[in-house]
Amino acid sequence: MAILRLGVDIGGTFTDLVAQRGDGTLSILKVTSTPDDPGEAVVDGLLQLLGDIGAEMSDVTEIVHGTTVGSNTILQKLGARTGLLTTAGFRDVLEIGRIRTPVMFDLSWEKPEPLSPRRYRREVRERIGAQGDIVHPLVEDDIREAAEFFRAEGVEAVAICFVNSFVNSEHEVRTRNILEREFPELLVTASYDVLPEIKEYERTSTTVVNAYLLKAMRRYLERLASRLEASGLRAPIRVVTSQGGMVTANTAADRPVFVVGSGPAGGVIGGARMGAASNTDNAIVFDLGGTTAKASVIEDGKPMVTTEYEFREGISSPSRFVKGGGYMLKVPAIDIAEVGAGGGSIAWIDAGGLLKVGPVSAGADPGPACYDKGNDQPTVTDANVFLGYLNPNGPAGGSLPIKPERSELAIRTAIAEPLGLSVVDAAQGIRRLANLEMARAIRSVTVERGKDPRDLALLASGGGGPVHAVEVAEILGISKVVVTSLSGVFCSLGMLSADVEHSFVQSVLSPVDGLDMVVLVNAVDSLRARAIERMSTEGFAEAQVNFEYAVDVRYIGQSSELMLDFEIGMSADDIRRAFLDSYHQLYDYTTEEPLEVVNLRLVARARHESALDFRTLRPEEVPLDRPDDRNVYFPSNDGFVSTSILARGDLGDTAVSGPAVIEAYDTTIVVPPGYLAISHAGGSIVIEKGPGEGSA
Amino acid sequence: MSRDIDPITLAVIKNGLDSIVDEVAYTILRTARSEIVKDVMDYSAALCNKDGEMIAQAKTIALHLGAVPEAIQEVISQYRDDLKPNDAVILNDPYQGGMHLPDIFMILPIFHEEELQGFSVVICHHTDVGGRVAGSNASDSTEIFQEGLRIPALKLYEGGEMSPILKAIIEKNVRVPDLVLGDLKAQYTACQVGAREIRKLFEKYGVEAANLYFDELLDYAERMTRSEIADWPDGTYEFTDYIDDDGFNGTPLPIQVAVTVAGDHLYVDYNGSSGQVEAALNSTLSYTNSCTYLSVRSVLKGDIPNNAGVFRCIDVSAPEASILNPRMPAPCAARALTGYRVFDAMLGALSKVVPDRVPAAGEGGNTVVCIGGYRPDQTPFIVVDMICGAWGGRPDRDGIEAITNPSQNLSNTPVETLEASQPIRIEEYGLIPDSCGAGTWRGGLGIRRSYRLLTDSATLQLRADRTAFSPYGLSGGAPAARCTNWIRRHDDGDWEALPGKITCKMEKDQVVRHDQAGGGGFGDPRNRDRARVSEDLWNEKITLAYAAEHHGFGSDET
Repeated sequence: MAILRLGVDIGGTFTDLVAQRGDGTLSILKVTSTPDDPGEAVVDGLLQLLGDIGAEMSDVTEIVHGTTVGSNTILQKLGARTGLLTTAGFRDVLEIGRIRTPVMFDLSWEKPEPLSPRRYRREVRERIGAQGDIVHPLVEDDIREAAEFFRAEGVEAVAICFVNSFVNSEHEVRTRNILEREFPELLVTASYDVLPEIKEYERTSTTVVNAYLLKAMRRYLERLASRLEASGLRAPIRVVTSQGGMVTANTAADRPVFVVGSGPAGGVIGGARMGAASNTDNAIVFDLGGTTAKASVIEDGKPMVTTEYEFREGISSPSRFVKGGGYMLKVPAIDIAEVGAGGGSIAWIDAGGLLKVGPVSAGADPGPACYDKGNDQPTVTDANVFLGYLNPNGPAGGSLPIKPERSELAIRTAIAEPLGLSVVDAAQGIRRLANLEMARAIRSVTVERGKDPRDLALLASGGGGPVHAVEVAEILGISKVVVTSLSGVFCSLGMLSADVEHSFVQSVLSPVDGLDMVVLVNAVDSLRARAIERMSTEGFAEAQVNFEYAVDVRYIGQSSELMLDFEIGMSADDIRRAFLDSYHQLYDYTTEEPLEVVNLRLVARARHESALDFRTLRPEEVPLDRPDDRNVYFPSNDGFVSTSILARGDLGDTAVSGPAVIEAYDTTIVVPPGYLAISHAGGSIVIEKGPGEGSA
Repeated sequence: MSRDIDPITLAVIKNGLDSIVDEVAYTILRTARSEIVKDVMDYSAALCNKDGEMIAQAKTIALHLGAVPEAIQEVISQYRDDLKPNDAVILNDPYQGGMHLPDIFMILPIFHEEELQGFSVVICHHTDVGGRVAGSNASDSTEIFQEGLRIPALKLYEGGEMSPILKAIIEKNVRVPDLVLGDLKAQYTACQVGAREIRKLFEKYGVEAANLYFDELLDYAERMTRSEIADWPDGTYEFTDYIDDDGFNGTPLPIQVAVTVAGDHLYVDYNGSSGQVEAALNSTLSYTNSCTYLSVRSVLKGDIPNNAGVFRCIDVSAPEASILNPRMPAPCAARALTGYRVFDAMLGALSKVVPDRVPAAGEGGNTVVCIGGYRPDQTPFIVVDMICGAWGGRPDRDGIEAITNPSQNLSNTPVETLEASQPIRIEEYGLIPDSCGAGTWRGGLGIRRSYRLLTDSATLQLRADRTAFSPYGLSGGAPAARCTNWIRRHDDGDWEALPGKITCKMEKDQVVRHDQAGGGGFGDPRNRDRARVSEDLWNEKITLAYAAEHHGFGSDET
């Protein structure tokens, strides 16, 4: 059967679709999202895109989907009515959390509300000791009593998390069995099944989020599947995980907590694959959307992964400085930093007369002032329109008509006049501040983690990324900018390059000194067996699966671990050496203090035979009318310069010298004076300083 | 705003400074050695102009930074013409610019084109600086000489080289020299990052222009602060709160404050506060200043930059030889508790100035539980655990339960991590129903934590306050439940009350429990929205008896 794979990513404004055919040809489409029923845009968009390329739904061989259902369900508090069973004495672990706040000097701060309210958190008499010993036997009647209560209260989903269950899950297993047998209407998640790792709050929170999402995720995926099947789909639907792998829709429906970061992960995995294919395997993936800018690092062609992050409204950052403001998810996820500076971010003047940009955003609706849909505050996009970076007839191939005069009016009224500035100075001030905020997201995933951004390339994606990329790179001293192929739909494109992937973890907790390797080998065997079983349900035989093991190791007494690659045959000494190397890279020193292994991890990966190959991409450019040249403001010239405007489809492989603006259906690429843009096979564009030109 | 100031450049430079100081903070986090820095994050970073005024502060421990001006003045007065590039001065002496001995300040002069142009400052809480008790943090020392190594303003680095003399002295006087010297090196690396990045600003904008903008940022913060204070009604506003006692004798220790609003300036006077005490609860004037600035900063509305412009609007005085301005050789190690009460007293006074901006009192600071002894295999162990906290009811919303005191930003230790490494089992960790102060907006509930000893015997050291003086309510709100300490000596026995501050023996299978105070209520409890009372009942955060007593809630209303 001829390959026809479809990648779909749902954003706040647009749902992006990419079709991949066997010869590497890529066709794209953006349709307006349907937030009330996101599946509607998916189905309509797919049918439209298939129509464009003359194919039928029955020709499709696979759909890869990045879904925002997980994140939106949490943000909008639309999850299931969720109960929690805890060890007696620990009813409030979920609500207590780690007690930090992400802000200073703000006495009006609000702690996020627990997803399972105190009333629905019930205690069960049982206790496992720290060594797995049974201190108090499980009182089964407590479970039944709680479940009867849940039934009477209309609770739909139940999480189970007992203290020390990561060493001995016996009580959780029995509790789960009782609930499933005697109360089949409840959706049940037990912590041992989601995340058998030490630290009761992190494990409880993760388990509760999973339970909270079960109903919404199931409903969404089932409806989507049935609609697509009704339109003739006979191929599997896969969902992208927060870690950038793919799982079947069934797995996503059972373990939704693993796909909360589904959308942005697609872009990063695409960046990693693209980087690996083009000798840019150490890079920053930079994505600029309507409300936020996101940054993540790829190293040796692999995204950096974190084992825990906090999910919150607005900005989800793994930075240690802002912990405490969200819902803790201790599941593997690509390490993405986010700042509140996107195209829709509003510029304003504070009480002391200082210009600020964001974090309040006009979003997609009403959107920037130039949309003329009810917002008259100037946004970053308005500054870009006024300064000539964006086509005054409307970016994104003219699909959204704009009124550039509204941009000018907004900037003049809200910023220029109060500050006594010209509109030009005000507009470029907005842009400079936005650039600085974007650079800050990049700093937090590089500098904070001991990496020098100057050693990395900047991979720009998103509709707005290439509009700002060169100036953001200059702030950070980065010399090479790569605009990704099809950057405006790059998340959907990236999804098509993902592997089928499952992660597993088992607590080990033993000192590295005198480590009994049998313990690790047994853990390897048990994780491997679970992985093989899971993969077979995805249709992969053991021989097709690649197993990557890792151990979490730390200095005894420290609370944070480093994750190290582990191979069978490694000795305790090898583990120690690997830890010390890695620790030194991160912290610039090491000591001889004793170490311990905390967890064994396994990522099982099945390489998809039809996964997108970035070496042979053939993007089909959506034709644009030849845009007119226009005046564009460049800070290096301190004024407007007559600038050639090119359509990306017309570039060929000649180098373009700045100043130039390259427009495409899905994005706009700004090449400042002194820079040279060169198109590469597969549709990416490299922008670097031109030879002998002065600095911009 | 001066005519030479371009508003865009001003905003750009402000963002630039915030970024630089964050980078300084990341550098410490990355290169420091000790857990107290890496995990608990007890450190802070700031950048100052050439006069020593703080122009930017990282998002770290707020309470450290009001003390920076005094430390820098100490350095300037001693070394003014003798500072050279790549020098770094350290100090920790509470009686010469420091706060308490574990907090070592490092101050690195920033030179550009051979002129002194500013200072890069990093303060770290060090794991140990010697003295009679490990950790150098005991509350029952009676002289500073028992508390550890006192370092006057001395150059640890000269021209980039660590002083062998000072290094040797530190090495011989602390219990964990690797950690302390490691963290000091991290402080130096981080200070240098700040200096390097500031120099880039000088190169880009020119020294004169950059300094002009730094000054404007201070003026800007001052302007914002003054414009708010000017709206406050003139007058003198008093408030007194209390520390239970100093652990040696049962005398309550008043913290009395009079805040005078005069136009756009604040005068804060602590006259009437307790004299200095025998135990280590004495807070140096620099720390008292810090707590005062923080209290004011917390009730200001705007997004005011964290710089010294705010400090210019506040004058602080505290009587000599008082608990808030002690005389040598009064011990200072556990001054954190006193700082919490300064914060409570200041907010109490400010609530009379801006009643719509100030919450009722919170739990009053974290309770410290230390259990130390020997495991069955005779290896020593020590558990140091902190319990925190609750915020009081606010003028437009409820307080918060299970939350750090706003003057700190500390975390808690996971139960499972504690049990995996220590002969302790936590039997209960939860919210205490009915412990909140009632109000139109109720306070947060208090927290309970209990510890069962799993080895033969151990020494328990428990330091709690607010056992005699409840967290206050405001505008008719009720005070919250106080802290209590308990022990159960046998599994079938009853709970026996323990005093607030106690050191005693603990035997195997005995259980010690701390019930922490909740937050006070705000506004008349009778005016509380019935739906909120119902919701608290529904969530079992309050009982029907509490609802009836405070809200006149009938059992038929649920």
